[in-house]
Amino acid sequence: MNEQEFAAKLKPWLDRAAQGVGEMQATKLKAARLRALDAYQEPVRLYGLVPTAAGTAQAIHYGIVQRALLWLPIAALLATLAIQSMGDIDDTGDIDAQLLSQELPPDAFLDQDFRSWLAKPHG
Amino acid sequence: MERRAFKQCVYAVQEEQAALDIVQDSMMKLAEKYAQRPIEELPLLFQRIVQNTIRDHFRRTKVRSTWTTLLSNLGMGGDDEDADPLETFEVDDSANIPSSPAGQLEQSQTMAIIEEAVKALPDRQREAFMLRYWEELDVSETAKVMGCSEGSVKTHCSRATHSLAKVLKAKGITL
Repeated sequence: MNEQEFAAKLKPWLDRAAQGVGEMQATKLKAARLRALDAYQEPVRLYGLVPTAAGTAQAIHYGIVQRALLWLPIAALLATLAIQSMGDIDDTGDIDAQLLSQELPPDAFLDQDFRSWLAKPHG
Repeated sequence: MERRAFKQCVYAVQEEQAALDIVQDSMMKLAEKYAQRPIEELPLLFQRIVQNTIRDHFRRTKVRSTWTTLLSNLGMGGDDEDADPLETFEVDDSANIPSSPAGQLEQSQTMAIIEEAVKALPDRQREAFMLRYWEELDVSETAKVMGCSEGSVKTHCSRATHSLAKVLKAKGITL
């Protein structure tokens, strides 16, 4: 009998020994396998730039372009807010300009009697 | 897969809880660190991780089996060193799962002797034998997993089979 033949004769015994693993150990092994499968994720691409596995975000090292892309939504939000606030200033400026262009002085609009006079129908 | 890995670890570290820990650690390492590798590479990587984790265990615990010493001595210099135990090893072609209680008892005893003999192999011989003949890796793959040359794999496998045949023959076991 040569080496391979002897090993081939021994293999079924080892297979049987593996099948004969105790129920408790088999359950623990199965649980460990499921935990490992849970941790294992197919590689995914983030923004099409960096291949990574889900669940390992803390281990990712971003490049300059990727960092810039990560900040992009925040920069866009800040820019929008800035533009809106500038618009508010323009609106206030328009109101002031209209007010000053009136023939009546600004105090006239604060006068309640004048308002009630304006509200009265005039023939 | 995990049962075979578990038995490999039991044969190596001779302690079920430690073997369970090694298999669990190996599976987690494979899942966490090698998820990006091609799926066809994973079985070989898993074997490599298992063997490395076993070695780490040995480094930590410094366990040395008395069986290992005993069998190493047997393998190194017996009276009939020149005789090839494989040449004279008897094979029982009718070996099947026995139906009688006596047959089952005999089989479980044979199984126990085989497992003890495998446990008693020197670490590298057992590792080579298990990977090559149980996991059915080829010589090149086994060498990669073990981190040694293909020649060393062949030598380890040869010594392992001869040692096993010698022990089993001495115990009157026919496969």
